[in-house]
Amino acid sequence: MDHGEAQARMQEIQRIMERATLWTILPGTSAILGGLMVLGGCLVSFLLFHSVDYPSFAPIDFASLLDLSLNGQIAFCVMWFLIGVGGLVAEIHFAQLQAKRQGISPKGRSAKLAFFSLTPGVVVAMVLTIKFLAPTVMRPQEIQYIAPVWMMLYGTGVYTAGLFSVRAPRTLGKAFIAAGVTSISFLQQYGIITVALSFGLFHIAFGLYVIHRRRAGSST
Amino acid sequence: MNDPIKPDDIDPVIHERVRLAIVSALAVAPEMSFNDLKSTLGLSDGNLSAHATSLQMAGYIEIAKTFKGRRPYTTMRLTAVGREAFRRYVETLRKMIEKGAEAMDEPK
Repeated sequence: MDHGEAQARMQEIQRIMERATLWTILPGTSAILGGLMVLGGCLVSFLLFHSVDYPSFAPIDFASLLDLSLNGQIAFCVMWFLIGVGGLVAEIHFAQLQAKRQGISPKGRSAKLAFFSLTPGVVVAMVLTIKFLAPTVMRPQEIQYIAPVWMMLYGTGVYTAGLFSVRAPRTLGKAFIAAGVTSISFLQQYGIITVALSFGLFHIAFGLYVIHRRRAGSST
Repeated sequence: MNDPIKPDDIDPVIHERVRLAIVSALAVAPEMSFNDLKSTLGLSDGNLSAHATSLQMAGYIEIAKTFKGRRPYTTMRLTAVGREAFRRYVETLRKMIEKGAEAMDEPK
Protein backbone atom coordinates (compact mmCIF):
# COMPACT_ATOMS: atom_id res chain seq x y z
CA MET A 1 0.00 0.00 0.00
CA ASP A 2 1.49 3.36 -1.01
CA HIS A 3 1.01 6.89 0.32
CA GLY A 4 -1.83 7.68 -2.10
CA GLU A 5 -3.80 4.56 -1.21
CA ALA A 6 -3.31 5.23 2.49
CA GLN A 7 -4.76 8.71 1.97
CA ALA A 8 -7.70 7.32 -0.02
CA ARG A 9 -8.38 4.74 2.70
CA MET A 10 -8.29 7.41 5.40
CA GLN A 11 -10.81 9.54 3.46
CA GLU A 12 -13.03 6.48 2.97
CA ILE A 13 -12.96 5.76 6.71
CA GLN A 14 -13.89 9.37 7.46
CA ARG A 15 -16.74 9.30 4.93
CA ILE A 16 -18.19 6.08 6.36
CA MET A 17 -17.94 7.34 9.93
CA GLU A 18 -19.83 10.49 8.92
CA ARG A 19 -22.55 8.49 7.17
CA ALA A 20 -22.89 6.15 10.14
CA THR A 21 -23.21 9.10 12.54
CA LEU A 22 -25.93 10.79 10.50
CA TRP A 23 -27.93 7.63 9.88
CA THR A 24 -27.76 6.74 13.54
CA ILE A 25 -29.15 10.08 14.73
CA LEU A 26 -31.76 10.43 11.97
CA PRO A 27 -35.03 10.84 13.91
CA GLY A 28 -38.10 9.17 12.45
CA THR A 29 -40.41 10.42 15.19
CA SER A 30 -39.84 14.10 14.46
CA ALA A 31 -40.50 13.56 10.75
CA ILE A 32 -43.87 11.98 11.63
CA LEU A 33 -44.65 14.75 14.12
CA GLY A 34 -43.71 17.41 11.55
CA GLY A 35 -45.88 15.71 8.92
CA LEU A 36 -48.85 15.58 11.30
CA MET A 37 -48.42 19.26 12.19
CA VAL A 38 -48.44 20.14 8.48
CA LEU A 39 -51.59 18.07 7.90
CA GLY A 40 -53.20 19.90 10.83
CA GLY A 41 -52.10 23.23 9.34
CA CYS A 42 -53.57 22.29 5.97
CA LEU A 43 -56.87 21.35 7.61
CA VAL A 44 -57.05 24.62 9.59
CA SER A 45 -56.16 26.59 6.43
CA PHE A 46 -58.90 24.81 4.51
CA LEU A 47 -61.48 25.52 7.23
CA LEU A 48 -60.34 29.14 7.41
CA PHE A 49 -60.67 29.61 3.64
CA HIS A 50 -63.92 27.68 3.61
CA SER A 51 -65.47 30.05 6.15
CA VAL A 52 -65.26 33.04 3.77
CA ASP A 53 -68.71 34.23 2.69
CA TYR A 54 -68.01 35.28 -0.90
CA PRO A 55 -64.79 33.54 -1.87
CA SER A 56 -62.85 34.51 -5.00
CA PHE A 57 -60.77 31.35 -4.89
CA ALA A 58 -61.33 27.69 -4.07
CA PRO A 59 -60.65 26.81 -0.40
CA ILE A 60 -57.76 24.51 -1.45
CA ASP A 61 -55.96 27.45 -3.07
CA PHE A 62 -53.53 29.44 -0.91
CA ALA A 63 -54.57 32.53 -2.91
CA SER A 64 -57.70 32.38 -0.73
CA LEU A 65 -55.52 34.20 1.78
CA LEU A 66 -56.58 37.34 -0.14
CA ASP A 67 -60.20 36.68 0.85
CA LEU A 68 -59.38 36.71 4.57
CA SER A 69 -59.56 39.70 6.86
CA LEU A 70 -56.26 41.22 8.03
CA ASN A 71 -56.56 39.35 11.33
CA GLY A 72 -57.23 36.12 9.46
CA GLN A 73 -54.17 36.70 7.28
CA ILE A 74 -51.99 37.35 10.31
CA ALA A 75 -53.34 34.25 12.11
CA PHE A 76 -52.66 32.18 8.96
CA CYS A 77 -49.05 33.40 8.71
CA VAL A 78 -48.39 32.95 12.45
CA MET A 79 -49.78 29.41 12.34
CA TRP A 80 -47.51 28.34 9.48
CA PHE A 81 -44.53 30.07 11.10
CA LEU A 82 -45.17 28.12 14.32
CA ILE A 83 -45.53 24.87 12.39
CA GLY A 84 -42.14 25.52 10.77
CA VAL A 85 -40.45 26.39 14.07
CA GLY A 86 -42.18 23.46 15.82
CA GLY A 87 -40.94 21.04 13.15
CA LEU A 88 -37.40 22.36 13.46
CA VAL A 89 -37.40 22.20 17.28
CA ALA A 90 -38.78 18.63 17.19
CA GLU A 91 -36.11 17.63 14.66
CA ILE A 92 -33.26 18.99 16.79
CA HIS A 93 -34.71 17.61 20.03
CA PHE A 94 -35.24 14.08 18.73
CA ALA A 95 -31.87 14.02 16.93
CA GLN A 96 -30.19 14.94 20.22
CA LEU A 97 -32.17 12.28 22.09
CA GLN A 98 -31.26 9.67 19.51
CA ALA A 99 -27.59 10.67 19.60
CA LYS A 100 -27.57 10.54 23.39
CA ARG A 101 -29.16 7.09 23.31
CA GLN A 102 -26.49 5.92 20.88
CA GLY A 103 -23.70 7.57 22.83
CA ILE A 104 -22.51 9.74 19.94
CA SER A 105 -22.11 13.48 19.47
CA PRO A 106 -25.00 15.21 17.69
CA LYS A 107 -22.70 18.12 16.92
CA GLY A 108 -20.18 16.17 14.86
CA ARG A 109 -18.81 17.31 11.52
CA SER A 110 -21.36 15.33 9.51
CA ALA A 111 -24.34 16.72 11.45
CA LYS A 112 -22.98 20.23 10.92
CA LEU A 113 -22.49 19.58 7.20
CA ALA A 114 -26.06 18.33 6.92
CA PHE A 115 -27.38 21.33 8.87
CA PHE A 116 -25.46 23.83 6.76
CA SER A 117 -26.62 22.09 3.57
CA LEU A 118 -30.24 22.49 4.54
CA THR A 119 -30.03 26.05 5.85
CA PRO A 120 -29.42 28.08 2.64
CA GLY A 121 -32.48 26.66 0.88
CA VAL A 122 -34.70 27.35 3.89
CA VAL A 123 -33.35 30.92 4.24
CA VAL A 124 -33.92 31.63 0.54
CA ALA A 125 -37.46 30.21 0.81
CA MET A 126 -38.12 32.47 3.80
CA VAL A 127 -36.83 35.54 1.93
CA LEU A 128 -39.00 34.71 -1.10
CA THR A 129 -42.04 34.14 1.13
CA ILE A 130 -41.59 37.57 2.73
CA LYS A 131 -41.08 39.08 -0.73
CA PHE A 132 -44.28 37.42 -2.04
CA LEU A 133 -46.35 38.47 0.97
CA ALA A 134 -44.86 41.94 1.47
CA PRO A 135 -46.49 44.04 -1.32
CA THR A 136 -49.33 46.33 -0.25
CA VAL A 137 -51.48 44.68 -2.88
CA MET A 138 -50.78 40.93 -2.80
CA ARG A 139 -51.15 39.11 -6.07
CA PRO A 140 -52.71 35.62 -6.17
CA GLN A 141 -50.05 34.13 -8.44
CA GLU A 142 -47.24 35.14 -6.09
CA ILE A 143 -49.04 33.58 -3.13
CA GLN A 144 -49.54 30.42 -5.17
CA TYR A 145 -45.77 30.29 -5.78
CA ILE A 146 -44.94 30.10 -2.07
CA ALA A 147 -45.76 26.41 -1.57
CA PRO A 148 -43.88 25.08 -4.63
CA VAL A 149 -40.91 27.35 -3.89
CA TRP A 150 -40.70 25.83 -0.39
CA MET A 151 -41.00 22.32 -1.79
CA MET A 152 -38.20 22.84 -4.31
CA LEU A 153 -35.80 24.68 -1.99
CA TYR A 154 -36.44 22.41 0.99
CA GLY A 155 -36.07 19.40 -1.32
CA THR A 156 -32.74 20.73 -2.61
CA GLY A 157 -31.55 21.21 0.98
CA VAL A 158 -32.63 17.73 2.07
CA TYR A 159 -31.02 16.19 -1.02
CA THR A 160 -27.73 18.00 -0.38
CA ALA A 161 -27.82 17.09 3.32
CA GLY A 162 -28.40 13.49 2.25
CA LEU A 163 -25.11 13.51 0.35
CA PHE A 164 -23.42 13.18 3.75
CA SER A 165 -25.67 10.32 4.81
CA VAL A 166 -27.51 7.37 3.33
CA ARG A 167 -29.87 7.19 0.34
CA ALA A 168 -33.18 7.73 2.17
CA PRO A 169 -32.87 11.55 2.70
CA ARG A 170 -31.70 11.97 -0.90
CA THR A 171 -34.82 10.15 -2.09
CA LEU A 172 -36.96 12.39 0.12
CA GLY A 173 -35.21 15.46 -1.33
CA LYS A 174 -35.85 14.31 -4.89
CA ALA A 175 -39.51 13.64 -4.08
CA PHE A 176 -39.88 17.22 -2.76
CA ILE A 177 -38.20 18.71 -5.84
CA ALA A 178 -40.47 16.65 -8.13
CA ALA A 179 -43.54 17.72 -6.12
CA GLY A 180 -42.43 21.36 -6.30
CA VAL A 181 -41.87 21.25 -10.06
CA THR A 182 -45.23 19.55 -10.65
CA SER A 183 -46.97 21.97 -8.31
CA ILE A 184 -45.52 25.14 -9.87
CA SER A 185 -46.16 23.85 -13.39
CA PHE A 186 -49.65 22.38 -13.14
CA LEU A 187 -51.11 22.50 -9.64
CA GLN A 188 -50.70 26.09 -8.44
CA GLN A 189 -54.35 26.33 -7.45
CA TYR A 190 -54.22 23.16 -5.35
CA GLY A 191 -51.69 24.44 -2.80
CA ILE A 192 -53.28 22.91 0.28
CA ILE A 193 -53.42 19.48 -1.32
CA THR A 194 -49.84 19.57 -2.61
CA VAL A 195 -48.51 20.80 0.74
CA ALA A 196 -50.48 18.09 2.59
CA LEU A 197 -49.05 15.50 0.21
CA SER A 198 -45.45 16.69 0.32
CA PHE A 199 -44.69 18.30 3.68
CA GLY A 200 -47.36 16.17 5.34
CA LEU A 201 -47.39 12.69 3.85
CA PHE A 202 -43.81 12.59 2.52
CA HIS A 203 -42.53 13.37 6.03
CA ILE A 204 -44.80 10.78 7.64
CA ALA A 205 -43.76 8.14 5.09
CA PHE A 206 -40.09 9.02 5.63
CA GLY A 207 -40.44 8.84 9.41
CA LEU A 208 -42.20 5.48 9.22
CA TYR A 209 -39.47 4.19 6.90
CA VAL A 210 -36.69 5.28 9.28
CA ILE A 211 -38.47 3.73 12.28
CA HIS A 212 -39.21 0.55 10.35
CA ARG A 213 -35.59 0.20 9.20
CA ARG A 214 -34.37 0.71 12.72
CA ARG A 215 -36.80 -1.76 14.25
CA ALA A 216 -36.67 -4.31 11.47
CA GLY A 217 -33.87 -6.69 12.16
CA SER A 218 -32.17 -8.64 9.46
CA SER A 219 -32.29 -11.48 7.08
CA THR A 220 -29.32 -13.28 8.57
CA MET B 1 6.97 7.93 15.43
CA ASN B 2 9.69 7.18 12.86
CA ASP B 3 9.42 3.38 13.09
CA PRO B 4 9.56 1.80 9.66
CA ILE B 5 6.23 0.40 8.45
CA LYS B 6 6.42 -3.35 8.02
CA PRO B 7 3.98 -5.35 5.87
CA ASP B 8 2.86 -7.10 9.06
CA ASP B 9 1.61 -3.75 10.40
CA ILE B 10 -1.28 -3.88 7.96
CA ASP B 11 -3.99 -6.06 9.45
CA PRO B 12 -5.29 -8.25 6.58
CA VAL B 13 -8.66 -8.73 8.27
CA ILE B 14 -9.43 -4.99 8.42
CA HIS B 15 -7.57 -4.12 5.22
CA GLU B 16 -10.31 -5.63 3.05
CA ARG B 17 -12.55 -2.75 1.91
CA VAL B 18 -15.95 -4.03 3.05
CA ARG B 19 -14.62 -5.19 6.41
CA LEU B 20 -12.89 -1.83 6.88
CA ALA B 21 -16.21 -0.12 6.14
CA ILE B 22 -18.05 -2.26 8.70
CA VAL B 23 -15.45 -1.62 11.38
CA SER B 24 -15.37 2.14 10.59
CA ALA B 25 -19.14 2.42 10.97
CA LEU B 26 -19.13 0.43 14.21
CA ALA B 27 -16.32 2.59 15.54
CA VAL B 28 -18.75 5.54 15.61
CA ALA B 29 -21.95 3.88 16.80
CA PRO B 30 -21.72 1.62 19.85
CA GLU B 31 -24.16 -0.78 18.22
CA MET B 32 -25.82 -1.00 14.83
CA SER B 33 -28.48 -3.29 13.48
CA PHE B 34 -27.86 -5.39 10.39
CA ASN B 35 -30.25 -3.20 8.38
CA ASP B 36 -28.70 0.05 9.57
CA LEU B 37 -25.28 -1.16 8.52
CA LYS B 38 -26.65 -2.37 5.19
CA SER B 39 -28.22 1.06 4.53
CA THR B 40 -25.18 3.00 5.68
CA LEU B 41 -22.71 1.00 3.62
CA GLY B 42 -24.94 0.20 0.64
CA LEU B 43 -24.20 -3.54 0.85
CA SER B 44 -26.24 -6.58 -0.06
CA ASP B 45 -27.43 -9.00 2.64
CA GLY B 46 -25.02 -11.71 1.52
CA ASN B 47 -22.00 -9.43 1.27
CA LEU B 48 -22.54 -7.88 4.69
CA SER B 49 -23.31 -11.24 6.25
CA ALA B 50 -20.16 -12.91 4.86
CA HIS B 51 -17.79 -10.12 5.91
CA ALA B 52 -19.44 -9.72 9.31
CA THR B 53 -18.88 -13.42 9.93
CA SER B 54 -15.17 -13.04 9.05
CA LEU B 55 -14.88 -10.15 11.49
CA GLN B 56 -16.69 -12.14 14.15
CA MET B 57 -14.34 -15.09 13.66
CA ALA B 58 -11.38 -12.76 14.07
CA GLY B 59 -12.93 -11.58 17.34
CA TYR B 60 -13.31 -8.00 16.08
CA ILE B 61 -17.09 -7.75 16.30
CA GLU B 62 -19.87 -9.35 18.31
CA ILE B 63 -23.06 -10.36 16.55
CA ALA B 64 -26.17 -10.67 18.68
CA LYS B 65 -29.26 -12.32 17.24
CA THR B 66 -32.50 -11.66 19.07
CA PHE B 67 -36.15 -11.14 18.18
CA LYS B 68 -38.25 -8.00 18.06
CA GLY B 69 -41.76 -9.35 18.14
CA ARG B 70 -41.65 -12.19 15.64
CA ARG B 71 -38.89 -10.73 13.51
CA PRO B 72 -35.24 -11.63 13.89
CA TYR B 73 -33.15 -8.69 15.00
CA THR B 74 -29.41 -8.78 14.48
CA THR B 75 -27.09 -6.21 15.99
CA MET B 76 -23.34 -5.82 15.73
CA ARG B 77 -20.85 -4.10 17.95
CA LEU B 78 -17.10 -3.67 17.93
CA THR B 79 -15.21 -5.64 20.58
CA ALA B 80 -12.26 -4.20 22.50
CA VAL B 81 -9.96 -6.29 20.28
CA GLY B 82 -11.65 -4.90 17.18
CA ARG B 83 -11.41 -1.33 18.42
CA GLU B 84 -7.71 -1.76 19.14
CA ALA B 85 -7.13 -3.34 15.70
CA PHE B 86 -8.96 -0.43 14.07
CA ARG B 87 -6.92 2.09 16.07
CA ARG B 88 -3.69 0.38 15.00
CA TYR B 89 -4.80 0.27 11.36
CA VAL B 90 -5.66 4.00 11.35
CA GLU B 91 -2.32 4.73 13.04
CA THR B 92 -0.51 2.77 10.31
CA LEU B 93 -2.34 4.73 7.63
CA ARG B 94 -1.46 7.98 9.37
CA LYS B 95 2.23 7.03 9.49
CA MET B 96 2.21 6.13 5.79
CA ILE B 97 0.61 9.46 4.91
CA GLU B 98 3.17 11.34 7.01
CA LYS B 99 6.06 9.44 5.43
CA GLY B 100 4.68 10.15 1.96
CA ALA B 101 4.38 13.85 2.79
CA GLU B 102 7.95 13.89 4.14
CA ALA B 103 9.22 12.16 0.99
CA MET B 104 7.55 14.81 -1.15
CA ASP B 105 9.08 17.63 0.92
CA GLU B 106 12.63 16.25 0.60
CA PRO B 107 14.80 18.17 -1.90
CA LYS B 108 15.66 16.15 -4.98
